[in-house]
Amino acid sequence: MLIRKIIYIGLPLLLSLTGCMKDDELWEFEKPAYDIPYAGIFVINEGNFMYGNASLTYYDPETRQVIDDVFFQTNALPLGDVAHSMTIRDSLAYVVINNSGRIYIFNKNTFEVKGKITGLTSPRYMHFISETKAYVTDLYARSIAVVNPQTMEVTGAIPVSNNNGDFYQHATEQMLQYDRFVYTNCWSYDKQVLVIDSEEDRVVDSIEVRKQPNSMAMDRYNNLWVLCDGGTEGSPYGKEAAGLMRIGAGSTEAELVLDFSPEEMPRDLKINGTGDTLYYINGDVYSYAVNASAGPKLLVESPYEGSMLNGFYGLEVDPQSSEIYVADAVDFVQKGMVYRFSPEGVAVDTFRTGIAPGGFCFNF
Amino acid sequence: MRRVACIIAMAGLLVSPLYSQGMQDSVYVIQEVAITKERIFVKEQAGMKQTQVDSVVLQNKAHLSLSDLLSENTSVFIKNHGRGALATASFRGTSPSHTQVSWNGININSPMAGMVDFSLIPVYIIDELNLKHGSASLADRSGGIGGSININNRADWNDKYSIAYLQGIGSYSTFDEFLQVGVGNKKIQIKTRLYHNYSKNDYTFYNRGIANIDPVSGAISNPIDTNHNASYMRYGLLQEIYYRPASNHLLSLKYWGQFADRTIPKPTSYEGPDNSNLNSQEDRDHRVVADWKYYGNFGKLLLRSGYAEKGLDYKQMNQVPGLGLIPAIWSESRQQSLYNTFSYSGGTDGDLSWKGSIDLNYHKVRSADSVSGAGYEGQRNELSTMFAVRKSFKDRVNLNLMLRQEWVDGLRLPFIPYFGMDLRLIEGVDLLLKGNLARNYHLPTLNDLYWQPGGNPDLLPEVGYTVEGGLAYQQAFSGHLLLTELSLYRSQIDNWIIWIPSYRGYWEPRNIRSVLSKGLEYNIQLQGYISEFNYRLSATYGYTSAVNQGDPLIWSDESYGKQLVYIPLHSGNMMAHLGWGNLFFTYQFNAYSERYTTSSNDVSRRDKLYPYFMNDISAGSTFRLKRLDLSLEFKVYNLLNEPYHTILYRPMPGRNYQLVFKIQI
Repeated sequence: MLIRKIIYIGLPLLLSLTGCMKDDELWEFEKPAYDIPYAGIFVINEGNFMYGNASLTYYDPETRQVIDDVFFQTNALPLGDVAHSMTIRDSLAYVVINNSGRIYIFNKNTFEVKGKITGLTSPRYMHFISETKAYVTDLYARSIAVVNPQTMEVTGAIPVSNNNGDFYQHATEQMLQYDRFVYTNCWSYDKQVLVIDSEEDRVVDSIEVRKQPNSMAMDRYNNLWVLCDGGTEGSPYGKEAAGLMRIGAGSTEAELVLDFSPEEMPRDLKINGTGDTLYYINGDVYSYAVNASAGPKLLVESPYEGSMLNGFYGLEVDPQSSEIYVADAVDFVQKGMVYRFSPEGVAVDTFRTGIAPGGFCFNF
Repeated sequence: MRRVACIIAMAGLLVSPLYSQGMQDSVYVIQEVAITKERIFVKEQAGMKQTQVDSVVLQNKAHLSLSDLLSENTSVFIKNHGRGALATASFRGTSPSHTQVSWNGININSPMAGMVDFSLIPVYIIDELNLKHGSASLADRSGGIGGSININNRADWNDKYSIAYLQGIGSYSTFDEFLQVGVGNKKIQIKTRLYHNYSKNDYTFYNRGIANIDPVSGAISNPIDTNHNASYMRYGLLQEIYYRPASNHLLSLKYWGQFADRTIPKPTSYEGPDNSNLNSQEDRDHRVVADWKYYGNFGKLLLRSGYAEKGLDYKQMNQVPGLGLIPAIWSESRQQSLYNTFSYSGGTDGDLSWKGSIDLNYHKVRSADSVSGAGYEGQRNELSTMFAVRKSFKDRVNLNLMLRQEWVDGLRLPFIPYFGMDLRLIEGVDLLLKGNLARNYHLPTLNDLYWQPGGNPDLLPEVGYTVEGGLAYQQAFSGHLLLTELSLYRSQIDNWIIWIPSYRGYWEPRNIRSVLSKGLEYNIQLQGYISEFNYRLSATYGYTSAVNQGDPLIWSDESYGKQLVYIPLHSGNMMAHLGWGNLFFTYQFNAYSERYTTSSNDVSRRDKLYPYFMNDISAGSTFRLKRLDLSLEFKVYNLLNEPYHTILYRPMPGRNYQLVFKIQI
């Protein structure tokens, strides 16, 4: 009898609980209506590793309008896990999502997703050779993927393995091209700049630089500038002073231009649109003229005390106005900030981004 | 008669831990069921908030992991990284390393990372589970700013021989096998437990992280994916030997070894090659502890020595053309700890009791990644001395003063005092007003100090100042027992360690946060008997406000005054267990309010986890076949088949089932 009572009372009670969790609510939304500025700057927000919360922020330097999370808001599709870099070719934008092993392709003006390139191990940067050929560097594949952006397929690979288990070399990073040669820096526990013949799709040379070349820029004279952080203290790979190096156009030798003190770890080497001034983060933001007679110039001081806690996480220079954009990831678990400065380092604007802003891409 | 046997078996399990502890006040025997009142007015425990997890719960969840039990039956919040994956605890809004975990008196927190992965502890190896909330944990050791979780094994001196086997078969190719063999007499008891758990864990889910994009229309659809690379396996052995040469001597030796192998799933959005980004983790544990307890005329002496060793390997493999599958990360660590305790206590029978103890522990860690070569070696010596004095006044007031002084690598830490009090509000009634006031310290972990790169040897210990108060009430009615407690606490934790990026480009731990954790804990337990039914109801509710009050890193830092990530403001659970004849039925409910994943408590839809409500039910039957006690139980998890996440973009399984079969001689 009592059993029956329990069933009569209990079952309806249980069934009435259906759908307590509103987990899917996130996906029930309307695309927000906004006018997309024709020209603007994408901020690439890495998000947190394994959280899948990478995003893109869009900023119009003219009206100072900020549009949050444009890719997700437009496509109801999360970008993925750790957005690393972005390239624009004609009307399409290619955003490389490192820990999702893919590149999303979307219209740079409507943000509507057009396709994807998948099958990449741990992609970092994309570089166009032609309309039908691009290279994608990789942290773990020990090869550079050759992709066809039109068919959105991986068509080949350029092996870059040194066939040695130690330090997992080579992890390829940024790419710059001079003539038919593509230069890529091997940053992680490494000290090489590899030279790839883009007609033959193979490594033809390597240039030794200081330890851990983390970023590169090419100046108006086609000199390749390489910023090396020198590695970390206590690592078996070893540590040396950081250095800014120059590789003359077509040369296979790197010469040291700036020597840093052992505790400095500079990063994010960038160049302005006219190719005559370099910029980098070394706690604060510095500029350095490529044919300088003087040393680097302090341009933007970090607001972090003693620069010990450094939220300055990304840097870019507007190729047209030479204005400087600095990304600050704060504590990496909240929305970051971007500070915009005049070419002389005077504050112009600040705006909030997504989580861990690390890179920029100009849509002009 | 069959029914009687079953009820007595259940009741026996319910009562025996209390008997052996000598804690029972009075025993009410109503028909076949014994209901035992707990002794809640104990001067040695004055001011301390404790939870003794019921043996019915331990038995019901024997085939699960401790992480499941803690989240469903206690006020500890478990951050679960997926089914079978890493599960860490937050006690009263604190960090995983602020919960001290012991097994038979030795601490089992990793000296490397400070925390415990509760998904690796099977409930099956637990005979007694005790939680000390907040400063109560100072009775055993320092460092438990959030509290402590204490796992104990004990001898059943009435056992002559016993064999028990438990088989679980569940969804997603989940198989659990547990075997227990005991033999002994009044002088010696030997018990062996063996277990093996495996799950392919290949549930399917609607994958929002991957899009199929129609090349013509541009329409987006999401695939149904399988939770690949998520299998887990563990097996282990628990061996106990107890020897009682005389009634006042007890010697014991216990060993617990376990091997666990887990693959760690790729991000759900991963679209790289199948044979890349393959992550796996192996945990190898050996723990051994030997005790000598002597009950003399003047007091009780305890000598204990223990050794714990943990090997933890983490690998990431990728397919490289021409080379095959090669490691990108091959990190191996070995942690060794040596524990020694000497304690002497006296006067427990009188109005005034005291206890003195000395702990001498040593930890050594070696960690290295054979790919990058990065690694470190670190060690630490800890000496802790404690003196406590407790006084009872006319069965109305208990006072408890515990003083602790510790040295780490020869350096003296500040003094750790605890003062607690119980007040019996009405004579003869178990209605107590209780409270305590304490300071506690938590040492940086060896990773915090020495991790390569980033370890910061200049870190200071985290320090917590806690005040708490509450009411406890116990009442036995005819055939029913009510036990309920309400606690309010406030903890200020300074020098809170977090890892943040440094100008060097890697992350470093720093003492920069200050956290104010305030909250309320309420729990109620009602058990008894209505005509032919025996029932047990228990529920907990927690309000946890854990707010960052550290100086902002920069003006744009919006984390000040915000709830810590992944800590729900409201949490609660409820369990109802009903027995009728040889049938039993259990309903389990567990809920959390939303959790933030950003330190700024972003309310944007993408950055928070939606409130969680979980319903599980199970039903079973016990029966007797000649000399065998058998039991068969069917369990339904996620009864309402709800899609949910416990971390971002890691969908959890929908409704799933398990069949549990037990056989006992």
